[in-house]
Amino acid sequence: MIVATVLVLYAIAAVGRLPRLLGRGTWAERAPRLAISIWLAACVSAVASVALAAFAAAIPASVVGHGLAAFFEACAALLSDGDLALSPGARAALLGAVLVVARVTHCGAAVLVRARRERRRHADLLAVLGRHDGGLGAVVLEHDEAAAYCLPGRQGKTVITTAALESLAPEQVAAVLAHERAHLRGRHHLVLAAVEAFSVAFPRLPLFARARDEVARLVELLADDVAARHHPRIHLAAALVRLATGRTPAFMLGAGGETALMRVKRMLAPAVPLGRRERLAGLAMVALLLAGPAAVAAIPGVSSLLAHHCHTLSIF
Amino acid sequence: MRGLGDLESAIMDRLWSYRKPASVRDVLDDLRRDREIAYTTVMTVMDKLHTKGLLRRKQVGRAYVYETVASKEAYTAELMRATLTSGGNRAATLVHFLERLTPEEAQALEAALRVYPLGERG
Repeated sequence: MIVATVLVLYAIAAVGRLPRLLGRGTWAERAPRLAISIWLAACVSAVASVALAAFAAAIPASVVGHGLAAFFEACAALLSDGDLALSPGARAALLGAVLVVARVTHCGAAVLVRARRERRRHADLLAVLGRHDGGLGAVVLEHDEAAAYCLPGRQGKTVITTAALESLAPEQVAAVLAHERAHLRGRHHLVLAAVEAFSVAFPRLPLFARARDEVARLVELLADDVAARHHPRIHLAAALVRLATGRTPAFMLGAGGETALMRVKRMLAPAVPLGRRERLAGLAMVALLLAGPAAVAAIPGVSSLLAHHCHTLSIF
Repeated sequence: MRGLGDLESAIMDRLWSYRKPASVRDVLDDLRRDREIAYTTVMTVMDKLHTKGLLRRKQVGRAYVYETVASKEAYTAELMRATLTSGGNRAATLVHFLERLTPEEAQALEAALRVYPLGERG
């Protein structure tokens, strides 16, 4: 029971406190890819610890202690409502775990299906309205709003409007398209779908809401960095400024220009990338977030197993 | 010609340029000036465009006459509106270079771009 309590308390702390902890400082802007991994790991960690807490509460450690066979027997008994007596509390806990996992799975599937349908419709219209430009390797859309975006999927497409082509120099266009291709190649839409699914599954919880916003911002920085490997940063910065100004009010986003401003500054004055030690610390954090809850959940089972098989040895 | 997508696009462009309803035969005759193409192919594609909601049709005699539902500009505007507004599904279309800068920010950044040291470019 102690383990279940610890896991639940951890989940509560993670949901409430982790967003502020992770949002501190500017390290994420210096290592967007690592930051994305940490946010994703944090979401998985919080959900997994709740599910594991329920299992820990429902399955007594002594059962695990009698070896794997007994453990599987206990699981079978749980499923078939057999001779293993389950308290109402344990039943409720198990039901809770199933509901949490089912909710995440269901929301994930819904997000993916909806995105796929919207993409297909978009691709249909694009096939009729746009014209493929072999030189650019992109679809050109005749429109008086300057914009560039990508349409992910099996046949991912980068799209740029004629207004954007007119207002940008050729090398700026190349930088913008490289940014879009970085999104496609990195399959960023799947990362976005994952954090979207968590935030839809558990609305109003700070961790998931913040993870969705942060990851949306971080994939842009990551794509900027990838594009900057082959294109001078100045072109990307200039394109950002050119495209972010003179937009009609209908297309204004509520968030204001914070991300654009930061992206331009980042391109003009790149920060020092994280050092080896900081990077390792980040990777260790990902591992801890993912493996921590499982390790805690396994403590009573492992200690009980040890106690059962090595009578003289009792660690815990 | 590069697949059905291009044929759809070509047929829609013809119909947009006519500004009046046309039958499969009309479109076929027009297309045949540029390329070899079968009646059934054009018929199939036009039927598909009708299913997609891009063309409407009515029966005249034994054949259908087709016309576009809306102008090309209207479709493009609608597509961009759906894509670019903040309500858009980010997992469906990744939209960027869409953030907005205030005029002051833009001015400051333009100035920064101008003084960006040439030696560090790249």
